[in-house]
Amino acid sequence: MPARLVNHESADENRIELLQGTLDMLILRTLQFGPQHGHGVGQAIRQSSDDLLKIERGSLYPALHRLEARGLISSEWKSSDLNRRAKYYRLTPDGRKQFAAEQSKWNLLVRAIRRVMRPA
Amino acid sequence: MDWRLWRRKQRETDLRDEIAHDLALEAEERMRAGESAQEAEQASRRDFGNVLLVKEDIREMWVLTSLDRLVQDVRYGWRTLRKNALFTTMAALTLALGIGANTAIYSVLDAIMIRALPVQNPGELVILNWASAREPLVMDSHTGAEYNEPDGRRTSPDFPWPAYELLRDHNNAFASLFAHQDLGQLNISARDQAEIGRVELVSGNFFSGLGIVPAAGRLVDENDNRGSGSQVAVLSYSYWHSRFAADPAAVGQTIRINSLPFTVVGVAPPEFFGVKAGRAPVLYVPMMNRPSLARNYGNEHDTMFINPRFYWVSIMGRLRPGVTLARAQTEVAARFRQFALASAANDAERAVLPELWLQEGGSGVDSLRRQYSKPLFVLMTMVALILAVACANIANLLLARAASRRREIAVRLSLGATRLRMMRQLLTESILLALPGGVLGLCIAIAGIRFLTWLLAGASDDFSLRVQLDWPALAFTLAVSLATGIVFGLAPALEATRMNITPALKEVRSSSARKRGSPIGLTQILVVSQIAFSLLFVLGAAFFVRTLANLRSVAIGFNQDHLLTFRVDASQAGYKGAELSALYARMEQRFQGLPGVRAATLSDVLLVSGSNHDTSVYLPGVPKHKGRGGPSTSYAEVGPTFFETMQIPIRLGRAIGSTDVSGAPIAAVVNELFAARYFPNRNPIGQRFRMGNSEAGDLTIVGVAKNARYSSLKGVIPPVVYISYLQDIIKRPPIGMYFELRAAGDPLALATSVRKVVSDTAPRVPLTNIRTHSQSIETTIMQERTFADLCSAFAMLALIIACVGLYGAMAYAVSRRTNEIGIRIALGAERPRILWMVLREVLALSAAGIGLGLAAAWGAMSGIASFLFGVKPADPLTIALATGVLLGAVVLAAYAPAARAARVDPITALRQE
Repeated sequence: MPARLVNHESADENRIELLQGTLDMLILRTLQFGPQHGHGVGQAIRQSSDDLLKIERGSLYPALHRLEARGLISSEWKSSDLNRRAKYYRLTPDGRKQFAAEQSKWNLLVRAIRRVMRPA
Repeated sequence: MDWRLWRRKQRETDLRDEIAHDLALEAEERMRAGESAQEAEQASRRDFGNVLLVKEDIREMWVLTSLDRLVQDVRYGWRTLRKNALFTTMAALTLALGIGANTAIYSVLDAIMIRALPVQNPGELVILNWASAREPLVMDSHTGAEYNEPDGRRTSPDFPWPAYELLRDHNNAFASLFAHQDLGQLNISARDQAEIGRVELVSGNFFSGLGIVPAAGRLVDENDNRGSGSQVAVLSYSYWHSRFAADPAAVGQTIRINSLPFTVVGVAPPEFFGVKAGRAPVLYVPMMNRPSLARNYGNEHDTMFINPRFYWVSIMGRLRPGVTLARAQTEVAARFRQFALASAANDAERAVLPELWLQEGGSGVDSLRRQYSKPLFVLMTMVALILAVACANIANLLLARAASRRREIAVRLSLGATRLRMMRQLLTESILLALPGGVLGLCIAIAGIRFLTWLLAGASDDFSLRVQLDWPALAFTLAVSLATGIVFGLAPALEATRMNITPALKEVRSSSARKRGSPIGLTQILVVSQIAFSLLFVLGAAFFVRTLANLRSVAIGFNQDHLLTFRVDASQAGYKGAELSALYARMEQRFQGLPGVRAATLSDVLLVSGSNHDTSVYLPGVPKHKGRGGPSTSYAEVGPTFFETMQIPIRLGRAIGSTDVSGAPIAAVVNELFAARYFPNRNPIGQRFRMGNSEAGDLTIVGVAKNARYSSLKGVIPPVVYISYLQDIIKRPPIGMYFELRAAGDPLALATSVRKVVSDTAPRVPLTNIRTHSQSIETTIMQERTFADLCSAFAMLALIIACVGLYGAMAYAVSRRTNEIGIRIALGAERPRILWMVLREVLALSAAGIGLGLAAAWGAMSGIASFLFGVKPADPLTIALATGVLLGAVVLAAYAPAARAARVDPITALRQE
């Protein structure tokens, strides 16, 4: 299922489709800073992209569950700051490794695309 | 509640709560931004999208991750296995053979050596034995078994009756001490049908001591053993079934044992087969009947219950609760020592007294164990080696396959499969592989048990071992092979999944399997060890086959062709003395007159059947040797035409003839060995001597016969004296005789007319052991034949397995090196060179394996030396032959991959990647 990004600066219909797995990479990146619940993950991605990216929650939750099933993240129910019970996700050792691998792949991709786009 | 259902529910609530939490947080944020509560909540929902659809998405994932995944794994595994049909078949077959053969052997071992008697608390049972450094002189005569222990002592489980009574009545260690004796095969007739069956004498407390409850009626008790004993019998359950159709009315009926009437009083329970493995009695009768049933040697019958120097009764005991074996032994050994001391007449006798020792008796008396434990141990070792070879092979096949699947695994990992998932997949495949192997193994085990029981029964007519499939053994072998599959299936998988994906993806198939400089891989080690094991088997097979061939080509000294032999024992039907001899003479004449019979004779010992009669020899002018160890000889009582019929040439003088009858001077024909040993440098004809068990005076040598094999094919031929059975010189009751009929055609075709002659001449006289003489000689080398057959089969099996392993390894190596080979050819390497390059590697592996195998054989040979005949363990010809066979097989297995390497087309090879 393709994750969709919303670019708030342009109009709503100006949506781009991310490469497969990019949402997963973003989730793994966010969880590197510590355990977080689903809503928090979405917020963090939005904030750290200076509101350029807004993750659709309808894509976020299936992605979280998929990552959990693959053993890259794990979850537990904890009390949140507001004393409410929430499901917190954290990275597993496998998840850390997977993230490292994806990050280097991503850097390679970015470099490659930048080189290709330079003449323009 | 079902665990899975519970988890499902739990996950549903979790998901609901998680989404609710998200919606609430979003709404709160919007409210903080100034929206009204209602607006905020609606916006939050709208923004989230279709909650139901998202939930559906997630649920779908759950299903895929659990049950369906297993199905997926199984399907995928099945496809992979089917794609590699050769690999699958080989691996499953190897597994099945390993599992099946091991289980079968272990089941038989268990039945003979380990399984407990089906009685109450078998752990409390002990067997009484004695041991002494030499043959005890206080023992005048002994009926039963005597064994030479490896440490040189002699041991036996038989005691004098007064010793039994003494120990039974004066001890604090035993709750019960009971006695029994195996009378062997007797003539039993019930409901007008005569047959041969094993009869066991038992003391009155035998059944109560063992704690056995009758299936019908009652068992033998103390009252039956008063005075001369009541003539009652307890039937075995199987005899009750076969002869009386399990009719309860059998109790009270009369049966005849050697024509004496006995009343049936009860039936033993179905699970009880006596206390001797493989020797199940048909009837149990009170001990006091021994004088009327057992053969009488000298005046044994009058004194057997009072003579302290006649050893014959076997004793078992049940320890009192809490008494240890050691404590009981201290007590009864001291008492038996006093007894033996009291029975000694002089200092010489006092010097070698038998010492009593106790042995755990939970699995019964051990005569069968002694007979078969060593051959079974050898078999067990062979089969364990086969299992090792099988496991090595599976490991090898899996390793080769895992290596070839590195790319596949890498691709699946990069597409998002987790390590756990991959391991589960490989584990599923290993188990899928093991399952058919296990099922097939079970079938082989069942067939193997039948085969082994048949094999062990081989020679004896009344072998009745109950072998059951040993489930723990099956589980064990299954576990071992499964573990091999898992370890070797998973270890490469683990490594593969831990690997960095990118290089593996880039890896082209043609790169070298192993890096130069690290030439020894696990595969190579496995191949070498397989070759080493196979060599062991091939060597073993070669030794046993040669042993068998040597035994078969032994010159036996008479003509065994077209010879029908059988045993007739008229004494069991009540014939005695002169009446008996006359009956045998009448039968002999009738047999001689049968159409198709060229000649007929009889003898009390069947030549080369494993039995023998020995006695001491007194020579004129030589002082009588007191005790044992003096001149002795084997002897045979024969009929008038014995030498003619058997075709044993007479070297000097004449054969035993029709004039050598009761009243005539006693004539003896001796073999050349006897003449040379006792009358060296003299003409033996006319010389006189006496035999130890003869009271009829001197024997005169009338002839010298060519040496012929006497009791066995192995060992040295003893001195032998042949005398006429009609001269009544041996002071003991006449017993059964073997008849030997030289047939014109097929000897077994005479069986019917022989039976008719016997039943016409003397109804109720049993006729047993009808077979050709060659058959009975063959049964004496049954063990050697078994080893030769089994070891050849195993060697073939091991060779096939090893060759499959080698073929797999080489084919794989060649396919990995196609590219390299292509380059070599392109650069001008000649094809024979390529062929040699591959074969050289195989030969190097073989050389290592053969070296190891020979070293191992060197160590193992001492273990089987006692089974060999006419072959030395270091026989260079045998070793060269075995090595040659192995090398041939190895080269054959490696030739196809090597030839494929040589045929590589450089263009295709280089274009491949």
